[in-house]
Amino acid sequence: MRKLHFFLLVLLIIIATTAQAKVDLVTLPQRDKVQLTIYNSADLTLVRESRFLTMKKGQNELQFSWANTLIDPTSLDLLPLKMADKIDVYDLTFPPRVKDLGLWHINSAVSGKVPVEISFFTSGISWRAYYLATLAPNESTVKLEGYVLVTNNSGEDYANAQTRLVVGKVHILDRIAGLARRYPPYGGRIAFRDEADQLVALEAEGLYQKKESRGRRSFAAKAVLSRPKEIKKEGLSEYFIYTIEGTETIKNGWSKRLPSFKQDDIPVVNLYKYEEERFGRSVVRFLSFKNDKKHKLGKEPLPGGLIKVFRKLDEEAHLSYVGRDDTKYIPLGEDVELNLGAVRDVEVKPTLMNYKTTNYLFNASNKNISGWDEEKTFSVKVSNYRALPIKLEIRRNFPHQYWELSKAGDFAKYEKVDLDTVEFTLELPANTTRVFSYLLVTHEGDRRHQRQ
Amino acid sequence: MRNPKVAFCLVTILLSLLSGAQARIKLVALPQRGDTVIRLDNLTATLVEEERILTLQEGLNQVDFSWKGVQLDPDSIRLRIITHPDEVNLLNVSYPPNESALVWQISSPRAREEKIRVSYLLSGISRLVTYKTLADKEETKVDIKSYLVLRNFSGEDFEAARVQFDYGEAFEKDIRNEETKRMLFLKKDAIPIEKTFTFDAALLPWEPERQSGNVGIPVHYVIKNNKDSGLGEHVLSNGKVRIYQDDGNGSAIFLGEDNADYTPVGDKMKLYLGDSRDLVVTQRQLKNNKINIVRNSRNNIILYDTDEVIRAGIENFKDQEAVITIVEHISGQWDMEETTHKYERKDANTLLFRIKVPPRGKQTLAYRFHRRNVR
Repeated sequence: MRKLHFFLLVLLIIIATTAQAKVDLVTLPQRDKVQLTIYNSADLTLVRESRFLTMKKGQNELQFSWANTLIDPTSLDLLPLKMADKIDVYDLTFPPRVKDLGLWHINSAVSGKVPVEISFFTSGISWRAYYLATLAPNESTVKLEGYVLVTNNSGEDYANAQTRLVVGKVHILDRIAGLARRYPPYGGRIAFRDEADQLVALEAEGLYQKKESRGRRSFAAKAVLSRPKEIKKEGLSEYFIYTIEGTETIKNGWSKRLPSFKQDDIPVVNLYKYEEERFGRSVVRFLSFKNDKKHKLGKEPLPGGLIKVFRKLDEEAHLSYVGRDDTKYIPLGEDVELNLGAVRDVEVKPTLMNYKTTNYLFNASNKNISGWDEEKTFSVKVSNYRALPIKLEIRRNFPHQYWELSKAGDFAKYEKVDLDTVEFTLELPANTTRVFSYLLVTHEGDRRHQRQ
Repeated sequence: MRNPKVAFCLVTILLSLLSGAQARIKLVALPQRGDTVIRLDNLTATLVEEERILTLQEGLNQVDFSWKGVQLDPDSIRLRIITHPDEVNLLNVSYPPNESALVWQISSPRAREEKIRVSYLLSGISRLVTYKTLADKEETKVDIKSYLVLRNFSGEDFEAARVQFDYGEAFEKDIRNEETKRMLFLKKDAIPIEKTFTFDAALLPWEPERQSGNVGIPVHYVIKNNKDSGLGEHVLSNGKVRIYQDDGNGSAIFLGEDNADYTPVGDKMKLYLGDSRDLVVTQRQLKNNKINIVRNSRNNIILYDTDEVIRAGIENFKDQEAVITIVEHISGQWDMEETTHKYERKDANTLLFRIKVPPRGKQTLAYRFHRRNVR
């Protein structure tokens, strides 16, 4: 005979209480709070919810369903927050031939209300950072404003959720959107199908939208307070967690922009780089500063994102657009170099002024040439047509490691970067042109090995 | 819902009435399925053993066994007589045409209740192991939970079956066809971990500054499957591990996931969490010159060494000290000439440098070696 079963049929609305809720409700246990932890290196959000469940002594069955959402059923977990030793969650069953539904079997030694935490992964919620930078008229300082934009395309409305954003690169094996669509949850009789194949199929069916194609929808930032919300930031493991003050309501399909930080008067260096192998014959402009206290930053690492740089033209705050860059993640204390693209108002022109060969070696047996030196004198003309002082870095790559560099006339400071690269650095005042020269001797053939 | 497709018919008839294949008479008495054991210790096939009580008549008995729609390997079917193995004998087995069935002919010296055990290999029923671990805020230890995921797509329903895994206690479970069940199988708290950072010069770019994205340094947790760690009772099966961390505020964050390897007792489980972007390694070759050149009579180079210098700058932007393992590769025959840090030889061509980098600090590893080259 079968044992008597006590069924506690609690259909949970996990997140939503609105008309669009995907789950029917028998008894809504008292809801405590919802927390969203949103990642941006992967399409992944950890949802944690606490609720009070009314348990009966003995066996309890709790039904949980998630049709039309993007929840990964393999990530579902239920944890009693109190009396954990008296409540045994002994299995999670995905019944036959029923989609998007799980049953928790719970053995309880107590009856009454028990606080539990339900957690799972969902896909479809994302966030990204972006920045607006405004250079002062003299371009010696910049005002930097950071924003975060949270977008919900998960199929669910999230009401009054504590929202946390994770900065960092998380490693995941399977895309959550793929796991959310997989039936049965842990795969069927065939071993796990390749996630990539599954997603290709889903994309073809239009069921799954790639993160990139989801588009940047219009955003609506509703002012709940009379001031913008603050974001608390703290490091954890290899991540940085941004916790948004209070709670947020983000409906499906909506995005929300929140200010992350704002800093005036960050001193910047107008850095220009020249390296033919990397940038061609143009000079590329960089805006350089450091994520540290000296630069009025250094409170937090800066997540990667698009930065648009403007320049304030006058006291009436008219602006001119300078350029944009996709920044990398910038750790605390790290240098920032924003690549603003090729410019015409700074020029670098290396010219070969003299070429000769010397120090020939001959093969003892057949009298052929076996080695020689090449001497090249380069003159490098650098011009700053801007009304500002600039810093210039010029890299020269040589064909191989057998070389010597020496002075020829005016000379810039240089250092060896690696075996076949040197970097010259110069500071140029406004509207000036300078010329420096160097002599490069390269050793060819047996001359490479003769001198040690 | 619960009518097993593996059907048993006990047909007791007189020998004289047995008139060939057409004479298969349906269902006389269906013996109840007794103790059933599902053994999930082999990854390629699952062994099912089930016990039945047969009510045998004196003389010849026919027992019909069929498995329509069930993924059963017919050649693996075994019948064992349990109660009176010396007296009750299985005489022969016959297979009717075009049916997933067989007929056992069993002789018994007298009418009696006889316990038999039938075993067969069943496919479509399998298990997975998954893990969920929670690290403490300091990342020195983890709580490990291991789940067994039982997936039954065999075509057969099982009620109150004893499920036996490679290790651990057997447990009783109902598992219906097309059902998936996830159960907590192992729970161990406060297992010490080692957190490692690894830069492998053969795998990562040397100049991260020149990459369009950040170059992360892979981060691992290493768990030892031994008694000192509070484990070491049995092998840890391979499976997906999801790693979380206590955030110190009553909540947790997800750190990453990895496929754990099959980890025997005494071995280490190494889990890749993700990449640290607060450690930056920039490596450059500063020298590669030919030296000690030997020439033949025709003045051709026949032997030389190369004098090579490698320099790696390691920057730690974290507020905590980090110990990073720098993996360097030198192929061929080589001799170390100078090095700023000690190294361990992992094999003939792989060197491991363990370098401690202070919080917000920088360390420079430089080494010079000679490599032998023969032309």
